[in-house]
Amino acid sequence: VRLAGRIPVEPLDEERLTHIERRVVAGAVDAAIRGQRLHAPGRLLRPVIAAAAIAAAGAVGWAIRGAPASEPVAEPAPVVPAAPEIHVQTAPQRSVVDIGDARIESDPDTAFAVTRPGGGVLIAVARGKLELEVGKRGARPPLVVRAGDTDVVVVGTRFSVDYGDGSGDVDVRVTEGVVRVVHLQQETPVAAGQEWRTRAGLVAMAGDTREAGAGPLPTGEPRAAGPAPEPQRDRKRPPDAPEVLPTVLHDRRAAVPDAPAAPQAPTRSAPATRPAGREPAHPRVAVRDDPHVDLRTAIRAQRVEPALDLGEPNPASAVARYYDIAAHRSGDEASQAFYSIAAVRYFRQGNGADALQTLDAYVRRFPGGKEYRAALWLRVRILCLARFDEACRAAAYTYLHEAPDAPAAHIAERLTQTE
Amino acid sequence: VTAVLYVEDVLLVDRCLTGEPAATRELFRRHRSRVHACLFRALGSNRDMDDLLQEAFLQVFQSLRSWRAEASLATWIDRVAVRCAYRHLAQRQRRIATDPLDDDAAGALTAPEAGPGARRQLARDGVARLYAVLDELSPAARLAFTLHELDGRPLAETAELVGSSVTATKLRVWRARKRIEAAAAADPVLREFVEPAGGQVIRFDDPGAP
Repeated sequence: VRLAGRIPVEPLDEERLTHIERRVVAGAVDAAIRGQRLHAPGRLLRPVIAAAAIAAAGAVGWAIRGAPASEPVAEPAPVVPAAPEIHVQTAPQRSVVDIGDARIESDPDTAFAVTRPGGGVLIAVARGKLELEVGKRGARPPLVVRAGDTDVVVVGTRFSVDYGDGSGDVDVRVTEGVVRVVHLQQETPVAAGQEWRTRAGLVAMAGDTREAGAGPLPTGEPRAAGPAPEPQRDRKRPPDAPEVLPTVLHDRRAAVPDAPAAPQAPTRSAPATRPAGREPAHPRVAVRDDPHVDLRTAIRAQRVEPALDLGEPNPASAVARYYDIAAHRSGDEASQAFYSIAAVRYFRQGNGADALQTLDAYVRRFPGGKEYRAALWLRVRILCLARFDEACRAAAYTYLHEAPDAPAAHIAERLTQTE
Repeated sequence: VTAVLYVEDVLLVDRCLTGEPAATRELFRRHRSRVHACLFRALGSNRDMDDLLQEAFLQVFQSLRSWRAEASLATWIDRVAVRCAYRHLAQRQRRIATDPLDDDAAGALTAPEAGPGARRQLARDGVARLYAVLDELSPAARLAFTLHELDGRPLAETAELVGSSVTATKLRVWRARKRIEAAAAADPVLREFVEPAGGQVIRFDDPGAP
């Protein structure tokens, strides 16, 4: 019986493959989001906390049981209900709701509900417009604003969502940080100063019409104009904050068209346009306007674990040799080679985006590797020298969490507090 | 090239784990043909093939975090697909909805030497009867046989894919082969397909066929 290669495979036509691909991609993205929630660091602690709570309750129960019979028996503790769903229906005035994780300002005639599924926060908008100020969520699951079939995923930022009468388009405007807008299984990062609309997609925000007093917006202008909110960025500013801060923020918003090029959303295919052998140049910020100039200096002064020295003058050849080692060796050698790929890509090839991807892969693959801390610090260095944004702060937080006693921990701590 | 591909796989999986749709699409496109061929040879022409291919890849993406880069990504994906095929076979209790082939086998039987078209028809009938015999095997034996004999994979790889030892896999393949030989002894169409007279292999894609 010789049958190998004699059973021809009926090909699937392109249309069927496209359908399958679409469903698979949608399912895969869902699985990835669920997986990220499942593997959030805080999740590991929850069973421990739950076990401790059960043990404590048992101890209390035992103590009660052991008490003299003449003493009154304690009433059983009431069962604490799950966090209730908050329904908000605003009156003719604007209203403000503080849910702890976020401060929500809503326009007149706005309706929304807040729930807390799986440790995250879900704000389902039925109609109207919300402006949100979300605190940094760290390792907690993200806060999601859902307006119809559009999800806005947040890890800490300020933005607004306008859902009109609850049946039409959605308008998302970001004033600080970055959010991810998920619509029809397409995910779009929206950075500060950018706007996303259901029909138009991502556009640069045409100025803050509330503050500037300009005419109505092209879409999504609130139906009833409430009193103009106070300038929110001053609310969080400490009294001793430098006066240049608003200017810097303003400048950052003015530079919006460049935002997608930041390492927030690195692309593998981004060409390395900078000369090899140098750390990539970072956006130039005038020293007098940069409140973090000393922090940048401190980052640069911090030692970085060097790449494995192969005596290879050509960085591309060196990376190829590291690939070979990473693929065919194991343990420390593979770990060191993998880290070296990232280091060479960044320092010698000037390719921060690819270096970041390699570092992310390293952190996932070698959680106990010798270069684990060095890889985390290199992530901090790449991200934070590029921009003090949410990605930088998240990287710094991770580093601080994993290496609290490292020499650079104090820098990471300062980075987590940057605005 | 292998090393580069390996590292690329690691990076691609990492992008998939962040939920990046482009990475997911790229992974699907890289592996879909091979997985489809594997499922097709294991299960035969099947109405549920679209669903099975989709199910296999959804399983891949749901389990992607567990890929530890110890095996090659392709082998790991094949293993998930084989498990998916196994579940399908087990659930349907070996009753595979094999698509009926359109023409009547009797015509080919009566005139096998009538021309290339008739020979191609005979090959189709032979495949249909082969899968009818395979339907009688246990899912594990069927998968071992199809992966090794039809897909042409080495025994060691087949054993890894079905999650058995090489010895057990070899035994399953041998038993399946015996079963097919016994069926071929009683079925001239199947016999002509698996042991063509004069050693001339009958193919669907006979270049001489009209």
